Amino acid sequence: MAGFLTRERIVAGPGFNRWLVPPAALAIHLSIGQAYAFSVFKLPLTKAIGISQPAPGDWSQPELAWIFTIAIVFLGLSAALFGRWLERAGPRKSGVVAAVCWAGGFLVSAAGVRLHNIWLLYLGYGVLGGCGLGLGYITPVSTLIKWFPDRRGMATGMAIMGFGGGALIGAPLADLLMKHYATPTSVGVVQTFVTMGLIYFVAMMAGAFLFRVPPPGFTVPPPVRRSRALTVEHATLRPPLITLRHVHVDVAWKTPQFGLLWAVLFLNVSAGIGILEQASPMIQEMFKGRVAASAAAGFVGLLSLFNMAGRFGWSSLSDRIGRKRTYGAFFTLGPLLYVTLPFAGRIGSVILFVAAAALIITMYGGGFATIPAYLSDLFGTQFVGAIHGRLLTAWSAAGVAGPVLVNYIREYQIQHGVPAAQAYNVTMYLMAGLLVIGFFCNLSVRPVAERHYMSEDQLARERAPAAAH
Amino acid sequence: MAQENPGPGYAHPGQWGLVAVAWLLVGIPLLWGIWTTLQKAAALFE
Repeated sequence: MAGFLTRERIVAGPGFNRWLVPPAALAIHLSIGQAYAFSVFKLPLTKAIGISQPAPGDWSQPELAWIFTIAIVFLGLSAALFGRWLERAGPRKSGVVAAVCWAGGFLVSAAGVRLHNIWLLYLGYGVLGGCGLGLGYITPVSTLIKWFPDRRGMATGMAIMGFGGGALIGAPLADLLMKHYATPTSVGVVQTFVTMGLIYFVAMMAGAFLFRVPPPGFTVPPPVRRSRALTVEHATLRPPLITLRHVHVDVAWKTPQFGLLWAVLFLNVSAGIGILEQASPMIQEMFKGRVAASAAAGFVGLLSLFNMAGRFGWSSLSDRIGRKRTYGAFFTLGPLLYVTLPFAGRIGSVILFVAAAALIITMYGGGFATIPAYLSDLFGTQFVGAIHGRLLTAWSAAGVAGPVLVNYIREYQIQHGVPAAQAYNVTMYLMAGLLVIGFFCNLSVRPVAERHYMSEDQLARERAPAAAH
Repeated sequence: MAQENPGPGYAHPGQWGLVAVAWLLVGIPLLWGIWTTLQKAAALFE
């Protein structure tokens, strides 16, 4: 069975269609993207004992918030630790492990709710699920980049778009299931966790078994229309930031380029979280009496849609204009849009506010989706999955630091007499400031120094185990 | 190089029926999610 999962067993045969790989990747990312919809369980979980309202012994919102935080931390840790293993094991084996972890996380969490033990939820959805998230997230990336050397941004964008879209499916699905399973003595979360775990297991296993890796020497047709991210064969048209060679993962993470891209992702994600964290209360308080709670929920849903669209749109655009310019656009437009939000509140324009927030969120998603292609441009494709895995620690750091920063600043201002509606303004200016720092980090990115590239011998040795089987 | 060894995905891409089925399987739930979200988002403009 184990041999059936290895990289060597899934080398594509003649006639394999590379367009089968994106839906396989989407099956995994749409499943793990449910993480963004975890908040739908929060309210029912605060009433697990009381059913109609919280009772003594029921979990508090802050206790439950830790589940998602732990999951994001373990996403980054597992991606960083297992990225190197993934490159050797191949996408099928890592996809299967991700499916087991992700579905297992749901099942352990279901046991946690049944036994009313919060630690089982931390362990299940947080630790085990978080490992499933990390492995599942990086599983398709290097495979897609190798299958689509001519459209690296678009290919990884399609998969990472699924992570954004997973919430669009996960939230209403959880809602439907909880309503279906709810009884006078249960909020229906246990059965919902079990059902969703099984559905996601099947979907992720199907994706994992659909994966094939390209055979050695795989190339694509000579490009007819020019894009910036070209295949390695078309070196004469290649922009300077796209390398033909490869940097080892253990070397790559020590280079200034890795540090700069880590900062770029960290700052972009931290700024985006500033909006996502506060979207619903912010629009209600800034437009008091004009935007009801149901409309605010619609606003949050709209942001999810733009988050998903941005992942595909910006990463595809990066194939044409280049990664550095794409991030340059994020860090130039972003601060202006963040400053627009308080302005829209002052002049009372809901439309302007929604438009600016939606655009900001496209760039938040676009940042996630474009980073793997940026890494492969700089460090080559050989270790891009492992390097991407290590870079995702920036997401974990931002997932913890962003909300803490945003909430702390807001609370501090309110305690010092700033009206609630205006307390968001400083946060938005701070987010704009973060993006300005990101602009300079991105501007400083240069091609990797010659000494960091692997020699032909080193590369052959790295590739040898795969060829030897 | 591209002409010498174009690779199977380029030389004879087949399995288009399987490709269509695979995209439908991921596309239908995604479109359902988008539709549900758009219905909720409509409340913002009412």
